[in-house]
Amino acid sequence: MKDLVRIRDLSVRFYTYEGVVHAIDDLDLEIRQGETLGIVGETGSGKSMTALAILRLIPYPGKIESGSIVFVDRDRRGELELLTLSEDRMRAIRGNQISMVFQEPGAALNPVFTIGDQISEVYLLHQRQELGYRAKQRVDSLLSDGSGFAASARRPFWRWQSRLYNKIAEGPHALEPRLLSRIPLFKRLLWRLKDEASLLTVDMLKDVEIPDPARVAAQYPHQLSGGMKQRAVIAMALACSPKLLIADEPTTSLDVTIQAQMLELFRRIKVDSGASVLFITHNLGVAAEICDRVAVMYAGRLCEVATIEEMFLHPSHPYTKALLDAVPMPGKELQTIPGALADALNPPPGCRFHPRCPSALSMCQQDKAKLKEIGKDHIVACHLF
Amino acid sequence: MTDWRFMARQLARNPLSLMGIIIIAIFAFLAIFAPLIAPIPEGHRDPYMIPRDGYSATPRPPSEEHIFGTTQGQYDIFYGVIWGTRSAFRVGLVVIGIVVAIGIVLGSLAGYFGGLLDEIIMRITDIFLAFPALILAMAIVSALGPSLNSVMIALIVVSWPSYARLIRGDILQVREEDYIEASRGLGASSGRVIIRHALPNAIYPTLVMASLDIGAVVLTAAALSFLGLGAPEGYADWGQLTSFARNWIVGPQGDSLKYWYAVTIPGLFILFFVLGWNLLGDAFRDILDPRLARR
Amino acid sequence: MELRSYIIRRLLLLIPVLFGVTLFIFGITMLFSPIMRASLYVTDLRQMTNIGLVIETYGLDQPFWVQYGTWLGQVFSGNLGWSKVVGMPVWDAIWSFLPATLELAIFATPLIILMGIFLGTQAAAHKDRPLDHGTRVMAIFGWSLPTFWLGLILIMVFYGLFRGLLPPGRLSIQMDMVVNSADFIRYTHINTIDAILNLNGTVLLDALRHLVLPVITLSVTQVAFIMRLMRSSMLESLGKGYILTARAKGLAERVVVNKHARRNALIPVITVSGYVLAGMANGVVITETIFTYKGIGWWAWQSAVRLDIASVLGFALFNAVLFVLVNLLVDILYTRVDPRMRLGEAVQ
Repeated sequence: MKDLVRIRDLSVRFYTYEGVVHAIDDLDLEIRQGETLGIVGETGSGKSMTALAILRLIPYPGKIESGSIVFVDRDRRGELELLTLSEDRMRAIRGNQISMVFQEPGAALNPVFTIGDQISEVYLLHQRQELGYRAKQRVDSLLSDGSGFAASARRPFWRWQSRLYNKIAEGPHALEPRLLSRIPLFKRLLWRLKDEASLLTVDMLKDVEIPDPARVAAQYPHQLSGGMKQRAVIAMALACSPKLLIADEPTTSLDVTIQAQMLELFRRIKVDSGASVLFITHNLGVAAEICDRVAVMYAGRLCEVATIEEMFLHPSHPYTKALLDAVPMPGKELQTIPGALADALNPPPGCRFHPRCPSALSMCQQDKAKLKEIGKDHIVACHLF
Repeated sequence: MTDWRFMARQLARNPLSLMGIIIIAIFAFLAIFAPLIAPIPEGHRDPYMIPRDGYSATPRPPSEEHIFGTTQGQYDIFYGVIWGTRSAFRVGLVVIGIVVAIGIVLGSLAGYFGGLLDEIIMRITDIFLAFPALILAMAIVSALGPSLNSVMIALIVVSWPSYARLIRGDILQVREEDYIEASRGLGASSGRVIIRHALPNAIYPTLVMASLDIGAVVLTAAALSFLGLGAPEGYADWGQLTSFARNWIVGPQGDSLKYWYAVTIPGLFILFFVLGWNLLGDAFRDILDPRLARR
Repeated sequence: MELRSYIIRRLLLLIPVLFGVTLFIFGITMLFSPIMRASLYVTDLRQMTNIGLVIETYGLDQPFWVQYGTWLGQVFSGNLGWSKVVGMPVWDAIWSFLPATLELAIFATPLIILMGIFLGTQAAAHKDRPLDHGTRVMAIFGWSLPTFWLGLILIMVFYGLFRGLLPPGRLSIQMDMVVNSADFIRYTHINTIDAILNLNGTVLLDALRHLVLPVITLSVTQVAFIMRLMRSSMLESLGKGYILTARAKGLAERVVVNKHARRNALIPVITVSGYVLAGMANGVVITETIFTYKGIGWWAWQSAVRLDIASVLGFALFNAVLFVLVNLLVDILYTRVDPRMRLGEAVQ
């Protein structure tokens, strides 16, 4: 399987008032075509930051210090270095080839716009040509089918519209439509684009199993339940058939029953779209349900990456083992991981986990462990190997 | 309360608030040492009435005798603005002091006890707030007869509702918090709970508003005096001094800025006084806002 | 809740407040002697010659509540008393001076709102950078300016120094004659609008010339206020989750700020616009007085100084009622702008 995304030596630092926080430290990771990779970790492990780094949306006061993120572009069939791309080209990728679903759907949706508007926005932004083409087709069918006086009166207008939309379909930088969209009143002449976008939106809402999609599209976020909102957000993310869908704890804020439905939805998306999914969660159980491979992170560093079976059958890194042990099971005494989370400002030297590790060696205090392959598709960063 | 120390440190660090504090300090200095800076002439009875050097109507430019010149009626501008500082502080601090006190009492009662008492107090504030401040103040001052005291009373009447509302709102927020329940559970009486627990936390936004309002109150008082509805003629009050300048805004042909000192100087004093308090209040607000968000 | 029932509820709540307002005003009038209060009731100057009769007719020596009733009845029938300052009934005086003030408001309000919103958005978008600090200092300064002093300085410079470039008053003497002549039809008594309707360019220009300074004076304080409010509202909006979503969709920063953030940030600003109107009512008195611009603010000042209580109180009452109604309108506008307030909740 080929790689879709290749992350090498990624370091992200936050320059806060209290000091420098190493959110991500020398991360090496690949996301393969068509696979669902899970990133599992506690708060502060850097998992969300990895997602934001890929999209280059790290908020102030954070900075991507160093590293490389290579992405295989859909249309040009080449490899792009995301970290050095111009902002314009990066924007063309966001929401289009790489999109993201967030944890709190309520916060992710803008309360003053309808669901339909917010999803259509993505189509209007990234698929303008496609919309132009469809609009042209619709006008053309009016031209050929229309008969009677009313039709012939509007013919010249329709012909102009057909030409206009054709221009949009050919390329996004045609002069006439661009001029029109700048002038407030004349902007409305491009209404067919919005119409086509709305149709695609309703289709998309249907795809994510929202009942009565046309009605929902006209509603505002506060009128929907949590599960519905999250489906809408997923629809928004899938609108342009992205190659990479990043889901940052999408089920964490939902009820358990809804969670199950949501995971079912994700499974279907996996199969139907063939996109790669980067699934971020702190819940190993959820990861087991839907991921092909899992990466475990702690305090900004990668601990272990393996296929789901390998991870559960042969957990190697002490942290992974501790996480698995900590899952509550009936009949078993509740296990915790001793110690506290690594201090973000002053992380432990060497291996970040060593103060809490039951198998720590003396070298763990000084040297960071390198990633080593210990089995089929199974790498660990630990001195024990 | 280490909060105060944190706040003080933040204030000192912010250049704008520092400027505000310095400005206020300078004015305070002028007010306290007024008798030394602008000495009361011999035989002059009321220090707040500006001494006159003659009776001619035309203002005279700054000279050795009259550092800032004289305004219409030969009132010494320098004396007027220095002693005017005292009037300004008096108006600002007295009005705001009383208004905050009323606001605390009524706001706490409304906020803590809720119910009918709350509704009544809120409707009353609604009534007062239905009037634009200056206009209501104008009405009250004309009813009571123009004087600086009428102005102060009018401003108190006009300003208290905002504070009552503010404090009530804060108390309502704080009331729901757990530590109030805890205090009541331990047997503390309502009054005690309000005073020792709810109020201290409600105080911060009030501080912000109060420091901004001292400036606003002084501005309104100056406006009223300017309009002839405040301090009597010749009183050491900045607004009053400016009202003299109305007839002298434009000088004779060819020297239109001849009487600039009569207009500009008293106005500058008002401007900087209010500016100082506004800088302080604005800095307060910036400090308190992110803190509240961080909580 | 349904919009209509909301409006009805608010209107019902208005009544006790308006009641209280009238009671309050009346309470102030009772501070005066019966003779002075007579001017509150008479509609014709000649009635004042027989004070005794007036006192009897309107029961000015009756107990408080009876008088209140009488007075309220008078108010409802449109009789607010006699304005000695301008020699006409108060009610008529209000309506004759109102157009001038409306003219000021028509020019000042859009200026204030648009500039305030624009500057506030920019300050928020460039937080902690020179533009933000610059606008902040400007705002604090504008806030601290005594309106009357600003007006005086402006006159000093633009009328005195620049030789009558921007004069005080509403119209120059010649134009005033034109406007009052038979050839010029005064549809609205708002000079600029009338000038346009009469296709008279010189009057229009003259009116505009006279408007520049008063409008600026009136606006400065308000722009400062709106700008700061917009800034903090924008900052709050920009910190919300949907902004990250908008960026993740690939939208240009300009669209994120102007479309997504601003729509949300405007909501609290709209609710405060009622206060803007109140601020203008205050500023109008001072501004009109300084520029001898004969609108209701000028009339109110004249009345206050000359102790014409009927006028002052009539003005206060008018203002209060207007203010309460405007606040209601703003609240209704608010429900239209914020979808969360608008429709009945139908959570699936």
